[in-house]
Amino acid sequence: MKIRYALLTCLCLATSMQTSGFETPRMAWGHPNLQGIWTNATVTTLVRPEEVEQLVLNEAEAAAMEKGGAEAIAAIDDLPEGDLEAGEDVGGYNAFWVDPGTRVLRVNGEARSSIIVDPEDGQIPYTLLTRPKYYWRAYNMLNTYDNPEERPLGERCTVGFGSTGGPPMLPVLYNNNYQFIQTPDQVLILVEMNHSVRNIRLDAEPLPEVIRPWMGDSIGHWEGDTLVVRTTQFHPQQDLRLAIKHQVMMSKDSVVEERFTRVSESEINYVFTITDENLYSQPWIGEQTLRSTQGPIYEYACHEGNYALPNILSGARQEEES
Amino acid sequence: MPSQRLMATTFISLGLSFSLTLGSVANARAYEPPRTADGKVDFSGVWQVLNTANNNLEPQGGRAAQMMREGPAGPVPVSELVALGAAGAVPASLGVVEGGLIPYKDEALAQRDENAKNWITQDPEVRCYLPGIPRATYMPHPFQIIQNEGVLFFNYAYAGAVRNVALSDPGPAPIDSWMGESWARWEDDTLIVTTTGQHDQSWFDRAGNYHSDMMTVVERFTRTSDHTIDYMATMTDEQVFTRPWTIRMPLYKRIGSDAQMLKFDCVEYVEELIYGHLRKEPLD
Repeated sequence: MKIRYALLTCLCLATSMQTSGFETPRMAWGHPNLQGIWTNATVTTLVRPEEVEQLVLNEAEAAAMEKGGAEAIAAIDDLPEGDLEAGEDVGGYNAFWVDPGTRVLRVNGEARSSIIVDPEDGQIPYTLLTRPKYYWRAYNMLNTYDNPEERPLGERCTVGFGSTGGPPMLPVLYNNNYQFIQTPDQVLILVEMNHSVRNIRLDAEPLPEVIRPWMGDSIGHWEGDTLVVRTTQFHPQQDLRLAIKHQVMMSKDSVVEERFTRVSESEINYVFTITDENLYSQPWIGEQTLRSTQGPIYEYACHEGNYALPNILSGARQEEES
Repeated sequence: MPSQRLMATTFISLGLSFSLTLGSVANARAYEPPRTADGKVDFSGVWQVLNTANNNLEPQGGRAAQMMREGPAGPVPVSELVALGAAGAVPASLGVVEGGLIPYKDEALAQRDENAKNWITQDPEVRCYLPGIPRATYMPHPFQIIQNEGVLFFNYAYAGAVRNVALSDPGPAPIDSWMGESWARWEDDTLIVTTTGQHDQSWFDRAGNYHSDMMTVVERFTRTSDHTIDYMATMTDEQVFTRPWTIRMPLYKRIGSDAQMLKFDCVEYVEELIYGHLRKEPLD
């Protein structure tokens, strides 16, 4: 009931935003035109911060969250003077290299404290049995250096960090840009990170079950002016999605439904629902605004220059020897 | 009698081939290609070559493996490739370079030969690196062209490569990259794509043919039927070649149930090759 209510709310919002004088642009063949380059970069995180109770922030709270985000990024460069001791953590980046967004997520003008809108507490509804499994898996992934396949996907350059390519497509520390390209039979989404392309086939049959691509098998259809995409058949290794900005455990059997509605010249309303009864006590829903941004998207060649993975593995081998 | 039958057959087939030739010339002239809403020739679709240009742009004889070594009585495959047998053998190919050979400068030719000797460790394809232009076109994998108002996008199966072609000259690329920077213009019904800003790490093929970071590639796409594109690419690179040179080949449209593309995401397939020796317990 709660889920249905939230979904209805989102749909109504999208619809009401559409009727405010905005006329959906269309492709030559009549489908709504979602083409262009969009970003989901935001200070707002997937799950609600512990100290925040409500989904909707007032303007003072929104400003405070944005200030906190800016300070957290500036603090990256706040290293102690002089040389670090051997073995000290130097961190991954200088602030110059990250681009996580500076504003809170706004949906229809409303400032949001989390991407998750359902459950109401803004947390991923892992079951009691799943939650410890998630912690155990995440701990192991971050602390196991025996084999390349055991490292996070972003380090392996198979897909981008966390769930940037998704689905659901979630904001990460940088390169939060997506290009939408349409044909009468497909919607392609170029994910900047790792130049991954989501191939959403419209009104198509699922791939044979033995085929489990990265980012799953996505099949879409238009419901009015909303693109509805259902994704199944995930690659079994894309179950644990760890990024600095979000951590999500899904499974190869998770089902993701996404709804994309262009609500203005510069915004797409993006709602996703994740269902996996083996992991979650209920389907959970997130909502984002994709904002139009300047292109072009430049090449993000990850694997070709991947010094991280061999250095991480050889570092572990060195440590074992010493 | 048999000789008469032979003569008749020959005569008929000659006549048939003559009329077929005439027919294709007439068809090529009369062919009216599909067009996008803005009147440009539409190259949309999933395309692929039916040749072995990726083995070697130049003509080459058949051989037992891409990389050979001296044997007691003639060349044999290098040890890494012996187990592949006929699956690893390389068929003879006519080449796709107009005029036959790539016009290398002398020292560049020596480098090409050195590359060929080290193919298995040096070819970016072996490590699933991005293919660059023009190699992306004639890899033995399909690619999709998406063309509509505002977009000309190439989506390659191999290595998940992509190419976003600008519709006007964007000026010099801000930085060199594997796939470079491409922009499109039209000469009548021929699509012309100019690519610069590629660094020097991609190769043309498995034979070690290569270029520098100063290369300009000008590709010409002309639709010759509902199912074929006449594809040409001219390479200019004064550091490596004595003059510009051109490759030419047909691209074929995949149709029916073949007209869809699965990505060949090979990064995970080369982890054992690249990182296997760094496992806690390396495999045999």
